[in-house]
Amino acid sequence: MKNMLSDIWYICWREMKHFWGQKVRILMNIVQPLVWLGLMGNMFSNISAIPGFPANSYLQFMTPGVIAMISIFGATFGGMSIVFDRRFGYLNKLLASPISRVSVPMGKMLASALQTGIQSLIIILIALALGVNFGTGVLGVLVIVLISMLLTLAISGIALSLSAVLKTQESLMAVVNFLIMPLIFTSNAMFPTNMMPKWLASIASFNPISFAVEPMRDLVLGSWKWGTLAVDILVILGFGLLMTAIATLLFRRSVV
Amino acid sequence: MDVLIEAEKLTKVYPGGVLAVDHIDLSVKEGEIFGFLGPNGAGKTSTIMMLVTLSHPTEGRALIAGWDVVHDRSRVRSVLGYVSQDIAVDEYLTGWENTLLQGKLYHLSIQEIKNRGREVLEMVDLWERKNDLVQTYSGGMRKRLDIACGLIHRPRILFLDEPTLGLDIQTRSRIWEYIRRLRSEHNMTIFLTTHYMDEADKLCDRIAIIDRGKLMALGTPLELKHSVGGDLVTIQFAENGNENKEKIIPTIRQLPFVESVKEKDSQLLIVTKDGNTSIPLILSRLHDIDTEVASISMKRPSLDDVFLFYTGRQLRDEEASAQDFYRMRRAIRRAR
Repeated sequence: MKNMLSDIWYICWREMKHFWGQKVRILMNIVQPLVWLGLMGNMFSNISAIPGFPANSYLQFMTPGVIAMISIFGATFGGMSIVFDRRFGYLNKLLASPISRVSVPMGKMLASALQTGIQSLIIILIALALGVNFGTGVLGVLVIVLISMLLTLAISGIALSLSAVLKTQESLMAVVNFLIMPLIFTSNAMFPTNMMPKWLASIASFNPISFAVEPMRDLVLGSWKWGTLAVDILVILGFGLLMTAIATLLFRRSVV
Repeated sequence: MDVLIEAEKLTKVYPGGVLAVDHIDLSVKEGEIFGFLGPNGAGKTSTIMMLVTLSHPTEGRALIAGWDVVHDRSRVRSVLGYVSQDIAVDEYLTGWENTLLQGKLYHLSIQEIKNRGREVLEMVDLWERKNDLVQTYSGGMRKRLDIACGLIHRPRILFLDEPTLGLDIQTRSRIWEYIRRLRSEHNMTIFLTTHYMDEADKLCDRIAIIDRGKLMALGTPLELKHSVGGDLVTIQFAENGNENKEKIIPTIRQLPFVESVKEKDSQLLIVTKDGNTSIPLILSRLHDIDTEVASISMKRPSLDDVFLFYTGRQLRDEEASAQDFYRMRRAIRRAR
């Protein structure tokens, strides 16, 4: 058990080294939310004037959506790293050592979650600079970061499961691209559900991303809705644990 | 001496029916440098993959230090070191970070990693560059780092898959030197694959020739060469020393170690079992019948001759282009 925790930690450590080692990636972590919030937030700012729009400004509405989106991108990127490891022979090196097999996907998922935590904080700082008011204060921000990390855990589980089955980066990219954008646009991340057509709204209500965006948005808008918060977090946590289980199982089956 | 690697009827069939390894039997003793020689695609890597627990045998079994590669996988993993042909070092980490990570994968303490990490990095002459990112290393340096990483946990058995593939002459001879040192200083057992004749010949105590998944021959380089046919001894007679010409051939033919005798021009061609020991005896017999010898020379069969003999092909004919080679490797990796 002690060995397994150490294995998970060092797999994660390697991913974190990759994260800090790439200057461009860190830069993009700042530029991307700037573009999304600054540009898109400004482009669609008039939406908030429509009656029934649940927030004062579109920027405020969109910040949790951007956090969710960046979490999803980071999570898929992290899940795909296993395909690169396979391609360059590093995976064989890991697997020839006496580490526990499950530590490979778990370490990578943990790293994705930590990276998302850092990215979420960056986004929140940018949003603050752009004038977004976080209604629930520091505690609310911490819960937002936590939720984004749980969402990452779940989505990286999906990405890892896919990479365990597909094994090559070409097919993985195709499937991931096919999945990610519809997943984002059929959730409440970019657009309020009460203004969606009925069919889309009902899809959004089952979309796991909505379960992460909803409580984050409540927290940004300034209300502690304890009931929905608890349910949403439980759903995301359960989904995350399920995906972790599936990812580790599929990974174990894909290797000896 | 203990047998550290033992394979019985080891067989690997990939999905789709590709028979990569075909009922191989072999055993390697402690402290041996054992070479697996064959062209690309012969089944060398597929065999290693089974021995290092990265792929399950379709049939047969293998024991590493007495542990079964399927049932006692984790025990097998902790006694072996594996350096693949992929040069699997992480280029986003420094040399030291690669070493540290490898040590941690083998559950060594930080103190052990500090001591041994220095030892192995100094051995491969990378201690000075340990804090540089591997991105800045040359191909030879990366390979050396990879080997150093494979040694951090002091494995009893080291598997090296094509340790000098694509490296320049100086780096190759340095790596040979490390391998010899590991054996002499740590009594490490080393199993390596190669498709370089000189590497197999100069470095290995014993060689197995593998072709199309089958073990074609196994023995010391010398034994293999002898098995193909003896050494060729060529004798040039002195100008006037050829009076008892009719006696020479029958006399030489009587010697027990001589396999064949032929006269060509003023030369005598003798195929004999062991040139070194038979030359003095041949000379003294010629002296007995008053024949004067002007010069004598000997040629041993090379490992190339051995390979040709057992596989019916020259090794170099079989070297696929680099592109084919990588395509094939990727195909195998996908199938796993």
